[in-house]
Amino acid sequence: MLGIEDPLIWSGYLAMLVCTAACVIYGVKNWNKGAPDDGC
Amino acid sequence: MAVSTSVLTVFTAAYLVIVALLAYYGYRKTKCAEDYLLAGRNVHPVVLALSYGATFISTSAIIGFGGLAGQIGMGLIWLTVFNIGVGILLAFAIFGKRTRALGHKLGAVTFPDLLGKAYQSSFLAKASAVIVAVGMPLYAAAILIGGARFIESTLSVSYNTALIGFAIVVAAYVIVGGLIAVMYTDALQGTLMAIGMSLLLVLTYIKLGGVTEAHTALTSMKDLVPEGLAAAGHAGWTSMPVSGSSLWYTLITTIILGVGIGVLAQPQLVVRFMTVKSDRSLHRAILVGGPFIMLMTGVAFTVGALTNVYFFNETGQIALAAGGGNADAIMPEYINAAIPDIFIVLFMLVLLSAAMSTLSSLFHTMGTALGHDLLKGKRADSQKITQGATLIMIVASVALAYVMPANIIARATAMFMGLCASALLPAFAMALFDKAPSKLAAKTSLITGGAVWFAWTAFVHVKESSALGISGFLFGKDTLMAMPWPVVDPLIIALPLSTLALVTMKLWESRAAAPLSKGDVEPL
Repeated sequence: MLGIEDPLIWSGYLAMLVCTAACVIYGVKNWNKGAPDDGC
Repeated sequence: MAVSTSVLTVFTAAYLVIVALLAYYGYRKTKCAEDYLLAGRNVHPVVLALSYGATFISTSAIIGFGGLAGQIGMGLIWLTVFNIGVGILLAFAIFGKRTRALGHKLGAVTFPDLLGKAYQSSFLAKASAVIVAVGMPLYAAAILIGGARFIESTLSVSYNTALIGFAIVVAAYVIVGGLIAVMYTDALQGTLMAIGMSLLLVLTYIKLGGVTEAHTALTSMKDLVPEGLAAAGHAGWTSMPVSGSSLWYTLITTIILGVGIGVLAQPQLVVRFMTVKSDRSLHRAILVGGPFIMLMTGVAFTVGALTNVYFFNETGQIALAAGGGNADAIMPEYINAAIPDIFIVLFMLVLLSAAMSTLSSLFHTMGTALGHDLLKGKRADSQKITQGATLIMIVASVALAYVMPANIIARATAMFMGLCASALLPAFAMALFDKAPSKLAAKTSLITGGAVWFAWTAFVHVKESSALGISGFLFGKDTLMAMPWPVVDPLIIALPLSTLALVTMKLWESRAAAPLSKGDVEPL
């Protein structure tokens, strides 16, 4: 994939993108949760 | 490099003026010890994310680990997966929220203080402070070496001048401005790093003719792997090392797991969770932190490996040879040689920022461990004591930087993270997640983790044991065990054992405290 033959390397890149997307989605979904007045 | 030293000096001076202004802001905003130690517990989420990321990512990641990728290849990308998945998502969403809540509830202001108050144990507070005060200078010295080497080559000053000057500048704003100055300068430095690393990736692919072309060229270079590295398991820069080889064990156990897991119990990072006033700030910080880390280590490891293509095209040498056999020299050499002059100033500031942001946080954490957690006692004037202690720790780090060997940046980072995880992680996790944490279990775990980590480092893991020389002095050989154990990182042995010690003691204590069986209960 994209000039990288070893699946253990390109799957690493794929995992990196998935983890980054997970951070973005988590941040967006919880953007307003846990405010000080929520008692958290 | 066509950019003159005087131009670089002017930009460096301008950058330092901005840093000085932020330090002054920190100084003005610091009204009490809690401001100095925890930035008033009211930090903006973006500042938190950038500060955490910039502290996390130092010259170690860009110069040290980027150079390591130039040496051993793209397998380091799995460390980025751990950096984001464990170092951001798990750290903020699970550990961070609990740390913030517990820190607020107990009024804790440092990592050792948090452990001590959670277990009501001065032993745990002092023991974890000792680990910070003894182990962290190793990491700080590695950052100092990386920063000084870069300043030496870029500004054409002597190594001594670069080392001392660098330490003095960082020391000044840490001691004067406390954590507010540290975190705001971190945020500035993190912003510069994000811009610079994005550009580095784009410029590298442009230079090498495109993404697929660059990777294909690197894949085709596998026959150029030096004999020594091939014998150790190197299978090419776009392949993982041969499974079970010494290089494979080093990559998986020391680099990916050691650094990837070790981040959870890093005192200088954990304390940042206590600087925000709500979980909402942590949620928002995750949104910034994940992409930031991808831009840092993901880019550094990719570009690090691709430097082989550039140097081979330009000089007929692989990156390690172009760096004179020193992996730590690969990234500075590449940036100076390959990046257009117009961006050289930016990259100089990026690398300077990476070093300064981590170093300032380490200086602050070491100073608070020695000053607040070990020396303060019941004295009220903790800020002055912490400032004095910070100065002592900075001098110790500079002294250590003079005696540490070359090629040490990535290894010293992994060692410190391994020690923290082995000794502190199980006790820290229990303090956060167990409603009735056991003091005895935490103590046993900390002692077991620290002792096993040290024993494995001094007598088995050959890269450190040969450098320390204790095993050679006592037993006449560098390692006491046969392959593959000498290449298995101390963390892989010490962390499971310290966790086992914690669980065993907790169960034993629960059994001992369990009520008597029904027939044995005396009537009221």
